[in-house]
Amino acid sequence: MNLIVDSFLSAINLILSLDAEMIKIVEVSLSVSAASTLFAGVIGIPLGFFVAFESFPGKRLVITLLNTLLALPTVVIGLFVYAFISRRGIFGALDLLYTQKAMVIGQVILVLPIVATFTIAAISRIDERYRKTAMTLGADRLQTASVIFREARFGIVAALVASFGRVIAEVGISMMLGGNARGFTRTMTTAMALEYDKGQFVLAVALGIILLGISFGLNLLFNFFQGRYDR
Amino acid sequence: MTLYRLSQLTKTYNDRTVLDIPFLEIEGGKIYALMGPNGAGKTTLLNILAFLDVPTGGSLYFNSRPVQFSDAALQPLRKEVAMVDQHPILFTTTVYKNLEFGLKVRKIARGERERMINEALEMVGMQEFAQAPAHRLSGGETQRVALARAFAVAPKVLLCDEPTANVDEENQAIILRILKQINELKGISILFTTHDRSQALSLAQEILLLNRGRIVTAANLDCEAPRRKLAGNPAG
Repeated sequence: MNLIVDSFLSAINLILSLDAEMIKIVEVSLSVSAASTLFAGVIGIPLGFFVAFESFPGKRLVITLLNTLLALPTVVIGLFVYAFISRRGIFGALDLLYTQKAMVIGQVILVLPIVATFTIAAISRIDERYRKTAMTLGADRLQTASVIFREARFGIVAALVASFGRVIAEVGISMMLGGNARGFTRTMTTAMALEYDKGQFVLAVALGIILLGISFGLNLLFNFFQGRYDR
Repeated sequence: MTLYRLSQLTKTYNDRTVLDIPFLEIEGGKIYALMGPNGAGKTTLLNILAFLDVPTGGSLYFNSRPVQFSDAALQPLRKEVAMVDQHPILFTTTVYKNLEFGLKVRKIARGERERMINEALEMVGMQEFAQAPAHRLSGGETQRVALARAFAVAPKVLLCDEPTANVDEENQAIILRILKQINELKGISILFTTHDRSQALSLAQEILLLNRGRIVTAANLDCEAPRRKLAGNPAG
């Protein structure tokens, strides 16, 4: 019990002292996660929108495939990307292994199905009358699509929030492709794993508190905007 | 002037014919009431006239021109008509922006847009709601804004699917008055579906009775005889 209380109190002190190493770790985590979410959004939102909005042969198969990819373990992605970017891999010459770019590539693969499936769900939930109304007002396909997109905006933001939450909390890809290099690729989760291995819990608990705080803050922000709309 | 001409027009769903109209002409500038029991094909006909649905067979002329049922050909035609659903849905933004949508689609300049929106809102008595969030309006207000949004784009014809079915008596009277005004002041043709015979008789100049996909009666109500006959006709 003492271990938990002591670690927690020391962690709070560490957070309040704005420890330089801790700040750097948080910085790396945030920038890598933001980049991964951004790229996943740029690819996943149009992909999800297209799948939900258009009719094409094999649509159900694509949705099933994306749903299956939701369960992809991070270590499998880590291994897969490693095979491509390690020195012996076909992209070995690019020297990507143990860089933030490698982490971003792996994390984009991890959350792309989340962004796409959440977008599909958000678009599919939109009342068919919006499409019909836009068409009766003379809108072309693109203008009708923009109406649907606008109506689904909160669902799509939820997709991005969920994706950010997933990448900032993952450890397998960051460890395998980032290498946990101090000051470069050490994220909150890899640092926590390392501190646990060393038997030193203060930094690990401090990072855990920050991680939860970020997640809470994001959801709070999302609910705030949604609440403003609902009023 | 003939606005629509339908010839041998049919619509079939899974081998079931829901619409079969050998010939029908709809004239411009008039108010038509389309009556008939549930499942008679009223909404299907409305969707075809709004260029949202494609008939299975036959031909349709709009403004004396044959309608080609390709997506590319239908999209510009949709700008000529406006439709208000039985349960209209407003975009989740302000009332003003709801009305602005159709005008932006038609690339109407900002100043002119503002004038047209204000005029339309005034006509339905909703000008003070211009900046209100549209999804917060009551059923009657929603119906009135949907009407304003539809006729703000100055269509040749306004198609309304049971415009008063889901509003209280007070709003029913307001909506009927608005429809009459749209027709008289703007010269916009109106075709509305209804189950209410007295409403059809009070508002429409022509009544079309649809049953099992077929037009069973087309009556001009400028003559007293069909007016009396329809008043006692149980169809619809």
